[in-house]
Order: sequence, then C-alpha cells, then structure tokens
Amino acid sequence: MEVRMKQERLFDEDVYTVHPEDYRALCERLAAEGYDFPRAISGLDMGYGLRVTLQLTRMKDLAKVTVRTDVPYEDPVVPSVTDLWPGVEWYEREAYDMLGIRFAGHPDLRRILLEDEWALHPLLKRYDTGGYPLPGWEPAPWPDPEPWTPPPPPEPEPEAEGEASEGGEAS
Amino acid sequence: MSTMSLEPVRGRTDEMIVNMGPQHPATHGVLRVVLGLEGERITRAVPHIGYLHRNHEKIEEARSYPQVIAYTDRMDYVSGTQNELPFVLAVEDMLGIEVPDRAKKIRTMFFELYRLASHLVWMGTAMLDLGAISPFLYTFWDREIILGIVEKTAGARMLPNYYTFGGVRRDVHPDFFKDTADFLDHMERRMVDYEHLVLESPVVHARTIGVGVLSKERAIARGVSGPVLRASGVAYDVRKAFPYDAYPDVEFEIPTSPDGDTYARFWVRFQEMYQSIRILRQLVELTPKTGPHKGKAPARIKPPAGERYRAVENSRGELGVLVVSDGTDKPYRVKHRGAAFSNLQIVPDLFVGAKFSDSIAILSSLDPVFGEIDR
Amino acid sequence: MNPIPIPEDRHFRPRLLGYDPQKSRPWLERLVYSAYVFVFWLIVIGTYAGVPALFEALGWNAGWGFVLMRALQVVLLFLLSAVIALLLILVLRKYLGKVQERYGPMHYGPAGGIQTVFDALKLLAKEDFVPAAADVLTFRLAPAVTFVASFAMFAVVPFASGWVLADTNVGLIYLIAVSTLSAYGVLLGGVSSGNKWALIGALRAGAQMVSYEIPLALVFLTVAVWAGSLSLGRIVDAQLGLWNVLPLALSFVLYVIASLAELKHIPFDFPEAESELIAGYNVEYSGMSFAFFFLAEFVELFLLPALIVVFFFGGWHGPLFGLEPGSLAAGALESLYFTVKTAVWVWIFLWIRATLPRYRDDQLMEFAWKAMIPLALFGLVLAAYLRLIWR
Repeated sequence: MEVRMKQERLFDEDVYTVHPEDYRALCERLAAEGYDFPRAISGLDMGYGLRVTLQLTRMKDLAKVTVRTDVPYEDPVVPSVTDLWPGVEWYEREAYDMLGIRFAGHPDLRRILLEDEWALHPLLKRYDTGGYPLPGWEPAPWPDPEPWTPPPPPEPEPEAEGEASEGGEAS
Repeated sequence: MSTMSLEPVRGRTDEMIVNMGPQHPATHGVLRVVLGLEGERITRAVPHIGYLHRNHEKIEEARSYPQVIAYTDRMDYVSGTQNELPFVLAVEDMLGIEVPDRAKKIRTMFFELYRLASHLVWMGTAMLDLGAISPFLYTFWDREIILGIVEKTAGARMLPNYYTFGGVRRDVHPDFFKDTADFLDHMERRMVDYEHLVLESPVVHARTIGVGVLSKERAIARGVSGPVLRASGVAYDVRKAFPYDAYPDVEFEIPTSPDGDTYARFWVRFQEMYQSIRILRQLVELTPKTGPHKGKAPARIKPPAGERYRAVENSRGELGVLVVSDGTDKPYRVKHRGAAFSNLQIVPDLFVGAKFSDSIAILSSLDPVFGEIDR
Repeated sequence: MNPIPIPEDRHFRPRLLGYDPQKSRPWLERLVYSAYVFVFWLIVIGTYAGVPALFEALGWNAGWGFVLMRALQVVLLFLLSAVIALLLILVLRKYLGKVQERYGPMHYGPAGGIQTVFDALKLLAKEDFVPAAADVLTFRLAPAVTFVASFAMFAVVPFASGWVLADTNVGLIYLIAVSTLSAYGVLLGGVSSGNKWALIGALRAGAQMVSYEIPLALVFLTVAVWAGSLSLGRIVDAQLGLWNVLPLALSFVLYVIASLAELKHIPFDFPEAESELIAGYNVEYSGMSFAFFFLAEFVELFLLPALIVVFFFGGWHGPLFGLEPGSLAAGALESLYFTVKTAVWVWIFLWIRATLPRYRDDQLMEFAWKAMIPLALFGLVLAAYLRLIWR
C-alpha cells in the first residue's frame, strides 16, 4: 500500500518520517526490501510528543535507513515490529521502560532496566536527573503537519550506494 | 524485576526453576537468568538485566558535550576508549571538525590496543568459566602491559577519557611507539601459548564444538554483531563496512567462520587478536612521530540542531550512538546502541535445549559486559 | 590463517612485569615443604613402628592393650591427615602461584609456610551456619560421613612392609566399599542443604559415582588377578621384580582417569564446579563442617595417588642399601620411598589442576560407560591371559 511519509537524506542514511498508523506498513515494506539487520530502536522525548526511531541496515549492500514516527504523550502506542526483526525486542522494552512508549503486539512488554514497580519513565523531559518533576514544564504544541507529497519513484534508491559500496567491496 | 516471569508449571515435577545470578561467578557481573532445568537440560531461560543500571542517557542529557565523553567510558569498562569514539565521531560530523591524520592514527592505535585488552579479558574469563584457572592470570598480566602503555599517555588505565573532538586530548608519551612495538613482540610469543592452551586444548574442543549453534539468518535478525555475528559466517565489520579514523589506511582481514558454534566464536576472537596485532604493527610504522594530535575545534561545542548516528566496531560488535542536538551546549538526547546488549538477546535462543554446563560456555562466548548492557 | 609467523623460539616464555621467581625465595619454600614432609615421616614412623614398639615394651600387646594401641595409632593417623591437608593446601597454592606467575602465600611464616594453619584457625572460628531449609541431622552428618569414609581408607594403605593398620585379605573390597561411602556424604550434604545448586551438585556426584566406580572396581580386579591376592601388602610384594605399570599399562591409565573422577578433581570436578554450580554440594557449608569436606578432599588427594603407587609403582619398593628388611631403619627408608613416589603423583594431579579446563558431566559418563568399562574388561582378560602364560 502507499505510505504517507516524508523522505530525506541525512549523511549516509535515508530517513523516513511516517504517521504511526503507517509505521507498520512501511516497516513491512522495508523488511520485504531486504533490510534485515536491526541496529536499534530509540525513544526520544521531542517536547511535543514521543518519537520512535528505528534504524536498519541491509547486509547485502550495507544500505542504512532510519524510520521515525511521532506519537502524542496521551496515547503513546506504536505497533511493534518484533515479528519482522526479533532483534528489536529488548530495544522496544527499553523504550517502554525509559519513555513509556507502548508497543502494541510486543510479546513481552515489561520494564527491562528498571524495576517492575518503578514509578516513572525517567527519560521524559518533564523530570530532572533526580527524577523530580521539573517546575514549569509544559508540553510544546504539536508542530503543523507538513503537506504530504507523493514519494519519489520507488526503491531501491540509487544514491543509497554512496558510502556503502566501498564497504561492500571490501568485506 | 520482582516477578520471576517463569512460573513453575503445575503438576510438573521434573522441572526445576533455578535462578542463575545476579551473584553467580559465571555471569560476568550481574546477569540474572531464570532457568528451567530438566535434569541437566535447559527447558526455559529468561534473562533479566538492569542490576548495574545508572541511566547514563539521562545523565548525559544534563552534561555538556565534553563532559559526556567521560561518561561514555563507563559503559564498556574493559574496552576503554572504544566507547568514546562513536560519540566523538558523531559530534565531529555535526560540527564538521577536521581531524588531523596523525590524530586519527593515534586514535586507531588506542582503539586496537583496547581491543586486544578486551579480548584478553574475554579469553581469561571464558577459560575460567570452562574451569581452567591459569589462563585468567596470564591474560590479565598481558592486559596489564596494555593498561600501562595507556596510562603513560592518558593518565588513566581503564577509563582514560582520552579522545576529544578533533583528535586526542594530549600528545602521546615519547615512549608510546616503542612500548607498543615491544608489547607486540611479547604478544606474538604469548599468542603461541594461548593457542596451545585454548584453541588446541582437547577439553575446550569437547566443551565448545557444536555447542550453541547460531545460524546466519537468526544472527542477523536478532541484531547480533561483532565476533558473534562473524562466527556465524557474516562478514560484517563496521571497520570495513563504514570505515572510520585510520582504518582505510591499514590492511587487515575480517575472519569469519561458517560454523556458528561456541568454538567458532572462540576462534574468531583469536583471529581478531592476530588482526589487531597486524594493524598495530602497521600503525607503529605509519604514524608520524611528531605532528598535531588535535584539529581545530570550537571552544564551546554547540552542534547545530539535528541528529547523527555513528557506529564503530567495538570488541563486542557494532557500538553506535544516536546524538540529537537542539543547538545548545548539552546534547538533547544520547542513545547508545550497545553491542553486548544486542548480543545478549540471543541467550534464550541458545540456552534452551542446551546442557546446563553448555550454557556457561555459551554465555562466555558471547562476552557480555554489564556496564554497557545496563548503562 | 595465522597471519603472523610463529617466532623461532616458540618455547621461550617471556617473564612478566614485576614477577620475579627469586622473590618468593624458592630455597625457603623447599625447606618449609621438607619440614612438613619430615613431620609427616616422623608421624608415620611413630604410628607404625614407635607405638607397637612402645606397647610391646610395656607388654600391652594383647587384649585391651591391643585395642588401645590401635586407638592411639588412629589418633596419630588423624594428626597425619591434618598435616597432609596443611601441606597439600600450601603446596597447591604455592604451585598454582608458580604456574600462574604469581607468588601465592608469602607473609605468614617463612615463605608463607604457616598460612594454611591460620586458614584452618579461621575456619574453626567461623559460625557453623545451618540454613533454614536444611534437614539439620543429615546436614550435620554429611561432612562426617565424607571425612570418615576418606579417613578409613588409611586402614589398609601400607606405608612400608608390614606398616599397615589392617593387612586384611579383603583389602581391595574394603577399599571399594569405603571409597564409595565418601560419595554418600557428598550426596547427603547436597540433598539436605535445601539449595538447588547443592542439589544439582549432589545429583552430579551420584551420577558421576555410578559411572566411574565400575571401571575402578574392574581395575581393582585386574590388579588382584595379577597379584593373586586381595591384600594390598601382597599386591606390593608381588611387584618386587616388575612394577605393575608395565604389564598393566592399560589398566593403569584407566585407574588414573577414574581416580581423577573419584577425587572430583579437574577435569572432572562437576559436583563442585565453581563457575557452574557456585560450589556445588558444599555451597551452604561453613566453618568446621566445610573444613571437614575440605579435609576429606585433601586426604583423598593424598590417598588416591598413594593407591596408584601401591597398585602400579611398587609401593614402598626401592633400594635398601643392605639394611635388614623388617628393621626400623629399613621401614623408615621404605616409607620415605613410598612418600616420595606419592608426592610425584600428587604433583601430577596438581599439574592437571593447574592446566586443564573442565569436561561436561555427561561426557565423563559417556566415556566411562562406552570406553572405560570395555577397556577395563579387556585389560582384565589381558591380565588373566598374561598371567596364565607368564607365571
């Protein structure tokens, strides 16, 4: 299916920014495209909401891709991709632990680094390093959605070769 | 982590639930694995981590960029400067700092010295887990020499805080190159001993060959990297794939093994030590003895708003960092991608079905370091 | 694949930072060991020659007097086992230190010579803790069972010709019975501790015992067939011209392997594998209970090499330099030969401990059942055949 997304090139990676509803569809597409090595899932507190950053590598030609999706504080639910890449299991648990992002469909979504009874998600910007609420912290307004434009002609992107190709030959 | 998450099955009397760790001598620190044992065979395994958690990532958000470097050291405490490099590289990329050629080579030398140190620690502890006490003492003596070399230059042994934006913090000690060359002579002789003691030992063969086989596809899908991935037959090494620092200037190979068992992981680490010696030999020759050790970096490090992911090939695999800047002098978010963290995820895959004694061998072949896993 | 040429002097071992073997004063170490061995030797002479001579002089060598004499000898043997443990622990630590390029104990006594005495005192002063989940009676009894079983093996070990507590004609059967009992102590201790690691260790000890005991018994049988007697004294006597190690080489190798397994010694130390089971069956023991397990282990570390010497290396045999056999001087010299031969075997065992990693427990069982038992049977048949055509 067609995915609503913003595509940009950042250093040597393709960065896709998608709506959470389309996140799963994009991930399935990337898995089908052969991105097989999950590097990490990072959770970020953006000030207006939470962001999930999924980073993937294709072992065949060492192309790298980053997928971002933003969810609001009130309902931080993102579909889990553990069935596509089992290696993100602990990273999703870590993002849940640190920021409270809930991954729908994760087989075992528990806290991983902190105790099960821990009261808060420490990496949220509303807490200081001691875990106390920062006085006067207010969520920023949700940024205006950029007008969605159809993506450029589909994969594989020719410029994805750039830095990766030399590595590919060498290895 | 109050729940066991592994409840005994009602009416099943042949399964025993045991709690391996966090105070267990073979868990390399503070791993806790809840095991279901049927006699000696492992039926279920649930790893628990976090007993060494300090929340580096939150602390780093409250520190300025140069201060963060000191914190990254504390992650993988047996491989010293290797942890600093991804963060340093990422910030250099964001600021566009040029690193002089000599500084790159010095960085790479320290990087490879610490790889040797880390693999030595691995060898000692792995053999200790298999029941041999002597290799542990030998390898720690050799590591002591490396730490001495580092100490002369950087002033600290395990947590040197040596790399900085644009190069290294201070020039190397005048003896550095000679010390390193001497150490390499010593190390080459010792490697012969180690091969006799570890790789050629029939007991090690009996304990490791065919134990804990990790297939290539499973390894990639699980995000495993480093020697564990290469022992499964994937020639993925960040040093070759996305070269950084002085690695394009030196010749080395990526040892891989198609077997994917515990012995293959042992073997790959051994060959990596040979490659490290080879790289260091070349760098001792190549590195100019005098010259700048640091490029021009701004006095106040304030990267422009944006983000950058950089990875290096740590002793344990792909150690990455995602640095997000909002234009101030403190990082907005620093997310570490721990190699040992990813590698440890395959513990349930490899443990289930293995013998209990095998689980110890498998765990030591993964070489976890809990400073990095628990961060 | 090795990208680095192997240096020509591949047996050259570079010395490491700060390690200077002279600093540990090796001559002083040897002096300390000699002092311990001398005390050991004196006790042996006192036990087997002094006490009987004393009782004979007093005319108490019959009836209750004989019982009293035996009791005194047993007390002396207990002292002997304490000396053995103190010496062997010291030697183990010093020798491991040498192998590992460090010093070992250095500070208490000359060259660290009485470090182990202090360690023993520390164990005496420690609380003897009983876990809440333990079965108290069994838990208390287990170390005693292990120690008594090991200690009871002294009864039939001949230190010199005639120097033995009980030279029975069922010595070998007694040995099998008693050495198996020591595994019972381990089993009871592990099961009664109320600890899962101890339980696994005990189960491993049991499984290990049933696998090595059969080849061990078959080797005993081989030796008995060859010597034509079950008495250890007769077995040693039969080796006067030719030590058993040559005709019974196969059985000898199997016996050494089975001894390592019986000792729970690396590479077969599964019941107490530190890196796997923490300490296995004795994880919950402390204080004197632990000391008894420890004492039993080191007494066995002396006795099993001693039995190797008795069965295969001619026991006390050696040149007597014209001394009259049966005299005190000849007995003393013979017991010295015996001690020295045993010391060589203890050293070989310690060398194995310093060098090898550990096998997996099922590998020993597989080896015992699939290789050792058939080989031991073959060795038995071979010995019987050789004896028929040879003697």
